[in-house]
Amino acid sequence: MTSAPPSSTRPAIAEVRGARKQYPGVVALDDVDFTIAPGEVRALLGQNGAGKSTLIRLLSGVETPDAGTVIIDGAPLAGGVAEAGRRGVATCYQELSLVREITVAENLSLGAWPIGLFGIDRKRMIASARATLARLGADIDPEAIVGSLTLAQQQIVEMARAVQEEPKLLILDEPTSALAAAEVDLVLATVRRLSAEGVAVLYVSHRMEEIRQIADSATVMRNGRVVETVSIAGADTGRIIHLMLGEALDAAPAISAGRPLGEVLLEVRELSLPPKLESVTFTARAGEVLGIAGLLGTGRTELLRAIAGYERAKSGEVAVRGVPEPRPTVSRMRRLGVGMTPEDRKGSGIIPGLGIDENIVMSDYRSVSAGGVLVAARIRTATKALAQRLAIKADNLSRPITTLSGGNQQKAVIARWLHADSDILLLDEPTRGVDVRAKAQIYDIMRQVADSGKLVVFVSSEAEELPLACDRVLVLRDGRIREEFRAPDITVADVLAASMGAHGGTPVAVPAAPSSTHPTAADSGVPSE
Amino acid sequence: MTTTVDTSSHPGSDHSAPPPRPNPFTRARRAIGGNTTLVNIVGLLVAIVLLYAYLTFNAVGFMTAANQSGLLRDAALIGVAATGMTLVIIAGEIDVSTGPAVALSSVIVASGISQWGLPTWLAILLTLAIGAAWGSIAGILRARFAVPSFIATLGLWSVLRGLAQFVTNALPVQIPDSDPIMDVLNGSVLGIPTPAIVMILAFVVFGFIARKTPFGRSVFAIGGNAPAARLAGIPVRRVRVALFAIMGLLGAVSGVLLTARLGSGNSTAANGLEFDVIAAVVVGGTAMTGGRGSLIGTFLGVIFITLIGNGLVLLGVNSFLQNVVRGVIIVLAVLLNVTLSRRRGSREDD
Repeated sequence: MTSAPPSSTRPAIAEVRGARKQYPGVVALDDVDFTIAPGEVRALLGQNGAGKSTLIRLLSGVETPDAGTVIIDGAPLAGGVAEAGRRGVATCYQELSLVREITVAENLSLGAWPIGLFGIDRKRMIASARATLARLGADIDPEAIVGSLTLAQQQIVEMARAVQEEPKLLILDEPTSALAAAEVDLVLATVRRLSAEGVAVLYVSHRMEEIRQIADSATVMRNGRVVETVSIAGADTGRIIHLMLGEALDAAPAISAGRPLGEVLLEVRELSLPPKLESVTFTARAGEVLGIAGLLGTGRTELLRAIAGYERAKSGEVAVRGVPEPRPTVSRMRRLGVGMTPEDRKGSGIIPGLGIDENIVMSDYRSVSAGGVLVAARIRTATKALAQRLAIKADNLSRPITTLSGGNQQKAVIARWLHADSDILLLDEPTRGVDVRAKAQIYDIMRQVADSGKLVVFVSSEAEELPLACDRVLVLRDGRIREEFRAPDITVADVLAASMGAHGGTPVAVPAAPSSTHPTAADSGVPSE
Repeated sequence: MTTTVDTSSHPGSDHSAPPPRPNPFTRARRAIGGNTTLVNIVGLLVAIVLLYAYLTFNAVGFMTAANQSGLLRDAALIGVAATGMTLVIIAGEIDVSTGPAVALSSVIVASGISQWGLPTWLAILLTLAIGAAWGSIAGILRARFAVPSFIATLGLWSVLRGLAQFVTNALPVQIPDSDPIMDVLNGSVLGIPTPAIVMILAFVVFGFIARKTPFGRSVFAIGGNAPAARLAGIPVRRVRVALFAIMGLLGAVSGVLLTARLGSGNSTAANGLEFDVIAAVVVGGTAMTGGRGSLIGTFLGVIFITLIGNGLVLLGVNSFLQNVVRGVIIVLAVLLNVTLSRRRGSREDD
């Protein structure tokens, strides 16, 4: 809006004028203007809920604006996805939509098979796939099974499918989020080629390094509005982050410094899990809420899963209470008091058919049974107390868990580990998709749990919430811990800058043991306690 | 599956409704078990009463003591295995090896008594142990090596039937006419055939296990959402192995009972039994997708299936046509059940 990007002198290929989009309870887009020119690579930046996805949905015809217009190639867009596609808009969403079991060529001609005299003409199909891949400069065998390719290659195939439609505007929604740093170049090279052909590319990503490499300009969104479109060459990352956050959000952290912490509960030493994690080392203590920040796909989930024993690290060590665990399996780590709540609450958190109470007690049946038989009264007592403690809003805990709101479901999943009396709670995105009040309650719960002498490891992709909840924040980027912040010096801007890679590629060394502000003697990791 | 739109953050419309008092209806539904709807139970009860009424008046010899006793014995053959099958299906698995398992068990117990000179009790124990063992093999294939249970038990199906026929040359293995234990197993107590008592016992025991034990609840949890159950610390593999071991054991129990009834071990017995067992479980309202089901539903399903089989015979329907009619009735029953429960909105989200 304010400073015009250099390439906008050419006529726009896509334009949004005064667009407004309202969903029940939220204004997702408010008076948004946006233009993109042929051959331009535009980064789209903004926090969760800033309106990026809604803008993409308008451009690709998935949704129509409540007010304002979307103009594609000079004419207003009236129909839905199919029309937007015909007019030259192609979108690659985060989740790949390829069929993993069949070949690249088959994927590329899915639904539009070249038919010859004897059914599907395989030769023609493979030749056309080869041509498309060559056009993208990709060295991928069209006859390879998609599932056997690397994620980066799969991402290219996904793009190839979009490119076949000869798009004028290609929208890429976090195309590199699932990729390791080394694989990103492949995607960037492809984007460059397309841009050279004159395709406009709208590129959603928060990795500053790659944005700087390929984008001409960046549109920053906040609270449903376009804040500014800046030229990449002219803006430093600090400025962009400032635009993303606005003024209000950098409130003082809620956590005061110097709270007394207990023994070292968890030590992770040189943990590697290629390609996601590389030599991750940190220590955490009882009484602490430790935040793990990082962009989507930086290995946060893998880190938690490796600690909890669900994934075997290639090298490195996890020690609980100073004792290294040589064979960290799920059951062993559980016995040592490690409990994990997954990011995907619906897919691997709750058991939909069972009651709230049963969803809680399933982590430990022993404490609610006598002689191998479950005792209803004990289940009632245990779950009632937990529901009260975590403010789970339910009139009757035996009702199916699916009758709860998302936030209350999440609380029930956390309650599961309190029921098992785990000392180390690994919470993967516990606040995702829950409302503001439930978020605040979950911060309270984490604090309360930590205060009771446990360790809470809190993974979040929303930088705003880490200062509100954490004593300490580790920032993961490209598989390594790049920076560490301690309360009260945790700021949203710092965390975000470290996640996005504002400081270039130089990794920041993080001391293996917590710094000397903690006067305990256990920093050496010796099992002295 | 249903094509309901995914509304993960605000599931169902009822959570915003004023908190309903736990009315007797709800409580009855919970008491019946899991999420099986009352509709299903009541529907089956009505169907059974109607079938009874119809057959009493239209099928000659239906309401005789002999036929009712035979009915119970037939029901037992299906019912004993159906108890374990209910748990297997609730866990999201399937076991298609029941028929051959019963046949081979009958051959083993009969051979044990009449050819290897074992005391009857020992032959029975041996049979049960072997049954549990081959069940565990299927379970280990499923749990440890991720072979789909349909394939693992299909393999077992072929192996067990083949073994039974190989060792007997497909000839019956007679057991002595007067064997006190076998006589009891083929007799009746207070007019109720022993196999029926065993079946009722099995339903009581497994109903209790399903509702009241960590193992039973783990089965529901695994069938409802296996990754979540694993993350919650439930020993998913062990539970799966145990389930198939239980199926093997129950197949062996049925095999012993059948041997007592027929007076011989028979490698061709219980042909197609697995389909009746699975049909009874499904008619009883257990979801093939797992996570939902009840033993009381299965019990009624067993009675329903048995009644139809018995009725078709007594009504003199052509024996080849019987299979056709039975198949149609089973599919219709399940269709009705699914449709009704969907209309009542009692399906959990999927």
